[in-house]
Amino acid sequence: MIDLIILLMLLAIGYGFGSYAESRHYKSIITRENDLRHIPAITSRFPPQNNSSDATLVSGSVVISVDYFKRFIATLRNLVGGRVTAYESLLDRARREAILRMKNEAAQLNSDIIFNVKLETSSIHKGKGNRIGSVEVIAYGTALKTSK
Amino acid sequence: MKYSNPLIPEGINTSKQHPLKEFFILTAGVLGLIVTAVLLLGFFADKLAHHIPFEVEQKIASEALLQTSNPSPMQNYLESLTRQIAAVQQLPDKMPITVHYIDSETINAFATLGGHVYMFRGLLEKLPNENALTMVLAHEIAHIKHRHPIRSLGRGIVIGLALSMVSGSIGDMMSNQIISNTETITSLSYSREQERVSDKTALDTLMALYGNVLGAEQLFKVLQESEGTMELPEFLSTHPLSDQRINAIHKFARESFSTDAEQQAKPLPSDFSTWLRITE
Repeated sequence: MIDLIILLMLLAIGYGFGSYAESRHYKSIITRENDLRHIPAITSRFPPQNNSSDATLVSGSVVISVDYFKRFIATLRNLVGGRVTAYESLLDRARREAILRMKNEAAQLNSDIIFNVKLETSSIHKGKGNRIGSVEVIAYGTALKTSK
Repeated sequence: MKYSNPLIPEGINTSKQHPLKEFFILTAGVLGLIVTAVLLLGFFADKLAHHIPFEVEQKIASEALLQTSNPSPMQNYLESLTRQIAAVQQLPDKMPITVHYIDSETINAFATLGGHVYMFRGLLEKLPNENALTMVLAHEIAHIKHRHPIRSLGRGIVIGLALSMVSGSIGDMMSNQIISNTETITSLSYSREQERVSDKTALDTLMALYGNVLGAEQLFKVLQESEGTMELPEFLSTHPLSDQRINAIHKFARESFSTDAEQQAKPLPSDFSTWLRITE
């Protein structure tokens, strides 16, 4: 019985803090995306040749941990299959945050555009099995200045 | 060429479903499945365990056997009672009963694998007459006659295996917590149905030996007193409540015996109280 109470408390803590952190993070992401919209992140490998200069590598990475509640849902989902919706928002946040950090670096270099943007994802749980569920997303690309 | 990052609407890469809704659907679904599977497995294990030969059961038990009892007056007395009861219950020759007298305060008696019956001094001290003692002994022997120990073990093993497989595939600490709780609830030693069956057989035995069921009622009064004021709802206890068992005895007595008059319980042997302490 005590185990069950502890479990429910952990779930409540996970849900409370997790959803608070998530909604706050989304608000911040949306504002910053609007602020940095003037620097497009483009996946094309070929920038215009004639007037670009100052090609620089820019990158941004972020590590986000899953909360207890999300992991619990995902565990149950593992049994029956289907969309792991609990993790979808987690990865969405991580990707957007990584791109924002990359754009931020480009903004500090006064670049105008980022080309050849790539995203990589890795999970951080080495040696700990299912105990720790964190995800790292890194975004990197080539920042360029386009002469006016 | 003009490059831009347009505003993308929210909710393309995420689900709009509320996480709590998903949580409740999943939890209810998975728990429902586990409970159904456990009940089914338990049912089949219970049916099949009956076919395990008694010799196999004895081999399993001999490892877990607590100790062999030294001969003592009490031990001899219990053994002679056991022989009478076994004869009345028509136990097969291949099903020998080994009774053990345990010098301990515990108010208890139980039957386990391999036909071993354990009687504790704490309970025997409280019994008013031989009929009540026979009721206890006959009840425990009836468990063995109906193969309840091996059936409970079979059910416990199958359910335990199944649940450990499920928890292994989930492989998570928190799921193990839920599952271990489910396991303790479902693998309680004897089911209430098994207790009822054993009560019935024990009453038949009393009837055959003494021509009345006086001992049974007195036994449950004793048990009721020792349970004291703590009243557990039937759902939580494996034994049916003493009240209900006493009612069942009255019903049995009405059906099998015409008059209540002139019923005499057989007293315990005069040296019984001294035997309680002699264990060597």
